Amino acid sequence: MFFENFKLALKSMWTNKMRTFLSLLGIVIGVGSVVAILNLGQSANDSIMESMEVGGLDMVNVIPSGWSREATFDEEFSQNFLVNIMGIKDVVATVSSTANVRYGQERLSTSISGVTSDFFEVNKLSLLDGEFFTATDNINRRQVVILGSDVAEELFPAGGAVGKYISIFRTQSKRYLVLGVLEEKDATLGASYNNGIFIPFNTYIQRFRKTSQVSSYTIQVEDGFDATKVADDIDEYLSSITDSDTYTIFSPAQLVDMANQIMTTFSSFLAAIAAISLLVGGIGIMNIMLVSVVERTREIGIRKALGATPKVIRGQFLVESITLTITGGLIGILFGWLISYLIVQYAGWALHFSWLAVILAMAFSTFVGVFFGWYPAMKASKLDPIQALSYE
Amino acid sequence: MSDAVIKLINVRRFYLVGDFVVKALDGVTLTINKGSFTAIMGPSGSGKSTIMNLIGCLDTATSGYIEIDGELTNDLNESELAFIRNQKIGFVFQQFNLLGRLNALENVMTPMVYANYSSRERRDRAEEMLIKVGLKDRMKHLPNELSGGQKQRVAIARALVNNPAILLADEPTGALDSKTGDQIMTLFESLNDEGKTIVFVTHDRALGMRCKEQVYIHDGRIADQDVFRKF
Repeated sequence: MFFENFKLALKSMWTNKMRTFLSLLGIVIGVGSVVAILNLGQSANDSIMESMEVGGLDMVNVIPSGWSREATFDEEFSQNFLVNIMGIKDVVATVSSTANVRYGQERLSTSISGVTSDFFEVNKLSLLDGEFFTATDNINRRQVVILGSDVAEELFPAGGAVGKYISIFRTQSKRYLVLGVLEEKDATLGASYNNGIFIPFNTYIQRFRKTSQVSSYTIQVEDGFDATKVADDIDEYLSSITDSDTYTIFSPAQLVDMANQIMTTFSSFLAAIAAISLLVGGIGIMNIMLVSVVERTREIGIRKALGATPKVIRGQFLVESITLTITGGLIGILFGWLISYLIVQYAGWALHFSWLAVILAMAFSTFVGVFFGWYPAMKASKLDPIQALSYE
Repeated sequence: MSDAVIKLINVRRFYLVGDFVVKALDGVTLTINKGSFTAIMGPSGSGKSTIMNLIGCLDTATSGYIEIDGELTNDLNESELAFIRNQKIGFVFQQFNLLGRLNALENVMTPMVYANYSSRERRDRAEEMLIKVGLKDRMKHLPNELSGGQKQRVAIARALVNNPAILLADEPTGALDSKTGDQIMTLFESLNDEGKTIVFVTHDRALGMRCKEQVYIHDGRIADQDVFRKF
């Protein structure tokens, strides 16, 4: 019986192709929006999370405004974070500036950072070649260097950087042994590792350039602690000991929160569009079904004479309206997918195909079909067979 | 009577039109036996359509007692009436009333869909019926590709397909030319010869006289033949 009704529904849709198409537009747009919301939301989220996770969601960066005289930021100061704030696993201080480097005929200007040996682990950096310097290298102020991938490529176009000595100039030229070359890694929050070079912290502050001003602290949050919360705590702590304009706090987790908020706003907006189009689409379906019931009054009379019960007639028209809305739902899924594909292409994200969207879209369209098809179907089932049979 | 297939006892059917009561049937008592070929005759407005609707279970009586093939239909609800129509009545209409979007075979299968036959049984039996009415070559044709006589044959095949107790025909030749009408009449006669009970509603005296029995309706009552001759 269901199958018969389904065949009939397809037949009648096919007979009135243009009408079917027009009456489905509302559903198509509604379902398309739902699918697009979910696909895009997920794609945007994936893409934000991905770029944040490169930097690490478990990190908070504190960047002192170096010229502030009141605040003193030095490596000893960094220990205070550990003492005063819950949930910090490690604090890595970085000093940085720019320097000229040379190997043979190749020379370039680059950013140079003095870092402790755990800097690489905290920032999830890995080596293409060679090895990292150790805590001992740091204590001994060894003149060793790790090269960012771009720097290595420019200084050593033919490769084989590890084990060579490069010259680094500040006020005078000094030779540094290349210990390792970093793997390429995308920049997060403006810090690019690819075109920098890294020397031990102590080597930097005592041999490269005497300074007590730390350029930034990379704070690793302990597992199970919320990075955003820790960032707030750091902010509170710092503002209690110094002016708030002497430092800036960055936390990828905060940015993710912000991005999520924007996505939520955007999604609510699209969800409102979807709700309105589904409502309007549903009314369109009800309208077309009512027209269909009137047009087919005689058919209903004939079917009743042949033994169709009111329930059977109601079923026939319900199946028809559900077939209509599900067709609209399927077109809507394609439509939503196309929209998300175009937007994702434009935004440069990876497309996340949301199965939830497909399931929701089908559920929505079935619901609209039942909800808005019910009244016309009831109307058809209640027709008086004698009157229906004499309907011209 | 044991072989009565239709029994109407003192059946009234009144309609309320505004404040005015229309007495379409006013106390009709009638018995139609199994295997009979009965014409229900009368001028338009006489109440013969009302009788047909009541026998066909499309309508229920205001008062009185109606029994169709042993089933008392007075107090049945819509679904139960639909079941009786499906199982016990085969309708043949003046305007054929085929379903326009379905081909001949699908039209004939429709009553069996409502009787929950398997699609295999439906097809086999519908084909058998179409062959019986002489439409072996027209099974896949849509109604608008068929002549009037062919349409009516499809309708007859459809009416027979659930093997109903009663074949109820309402002016079945009214929309056909006399030659085709005659052929359809011959088909009814041969079906009656096979034992099918046929109730034939018509205002055409000549056609009515071809049936084995005649019932005359006038002003909502059964009239005797002599009275009827005056009209």
